[in-house]
Amino acid sequence: MKTEFHFRDEDLRLSTHLVDDLDLDSIDAVDLAVRVEEKTGLSLTEADLKSIRTIQDIVDLIDERL
Amino acid sequence: MKRLSRWARIAGTAISFAAFGVGGLVLALFCFPVVRIGAKSAREREERAQYLVHLAFRFHVRLMELLGVCKLSVRGAERLREPGGQLIVANHATLIDVVLIGSLMPQLDCLVKTGAWRNPFMRGVVRAAGYVPNDLGEAVVEACAARLREGRSLLLFPEGTRSMQGGELGVFHRGAAHVALRSGRPIRPLVITCSPRFLTRGQHWYDVPDRPMSFTIEVGEPIDPRHVTKEDESRGVASRKLTAALRDFYQARLYDRAGRGAGDAIQGRDLQVGHRPDEDGVPFPR
Repeated sequence: MKTEFHFRDEDLRLSTHLVDDLDLDSIDAVDLAVRVEEKTGLSLTEADLKSIRTIQDIVDLIDERL
Repeated sequence: MKRLSRWARIAGTAISFAAFGVGGLVLALFCFPVVRIGAKSAREREERAQYLVHLAFRFHVRLMELLGVCKLSVRGAERLREPGGQLIVANHATLIDVVLIGSLMPQLDCLVKTGAWRNPFMRGVVRAAGYVPNDLGEAVVEACAARLREGRSLLLFPEGTRSMQGGELGVFHRGAAHVALRSGRPIRPLVITCSPRFLTRGQHWYDVPDRPMSFTIEVGEPIDPRHVTKEDESRGVASRKLTAALRDFYQARLYDRAGRGAGDAIQGRDLQVGHRPDEDGVPFPR
């Protein structure tokens, strides 16, 4: 997330809300999903993306699938 | 006397609204079916419809001026006639911004909320003119960029909706920056000011001010995305930088203007500062 969007470490916590805190929009969400897929080899569905609200949600999702 | 003229202008405002609705129906029922005859492609059909919309908007602006609803002065209008598709961006001051800008451009694509396709007065127009509906998700960016690549001009409001009543700029969404980056087109910024402020978000149509709205539209120099972003940046970063640059531009223009005494609504107000670049020069969301 740091390279894709240049966020600072201190702004990235597990509880950070992607939309409310980091102001991600729908295009960012697609870019983020592509990054996660590249890194983990998972393939995410649209429903997966909709269920993600916070950074913790991303971690949980990856945890669950791997 | 003043009271009388105010009532006259409330009537004028009502007539303007009615004319807008009736105009939409007349175009859809009688004009579009005629001009589409002989059009060889969807594009030609849409451009003919857009030209009619342009004529209708010009008529509508004339009408509003005659009725004492508003006055319009434009600086740099000839820049809008430069050939090739232009990505036009404007601050969204009032309800009639689109009418004013459309009256200046013979061809103009717009991004329109999907509700318009269900509105009986607007349905015929948005369909015939082939405007871009805003419910396509991320595909909106590509749909808009495609219009520009075809050499068509497109109007976007980064605020997405009208500015608040006080005239402060709203939050800038990054869609317009994405369209510029995707299409490689420079952004042509229009600065709209209106005094006294009326037809803004949260005002009733009948709260007509004591004198005609005086609009100025200033056609600015293009903002080239390549001057603001670097080639190796992700689009997440590039769109944030470009949006911040755009917002800074508007902030400076509207603020300078206030300092010089025009645009009374903005004068003396502390404009909120959003999207400030951090130490690396990278904009930080809100």
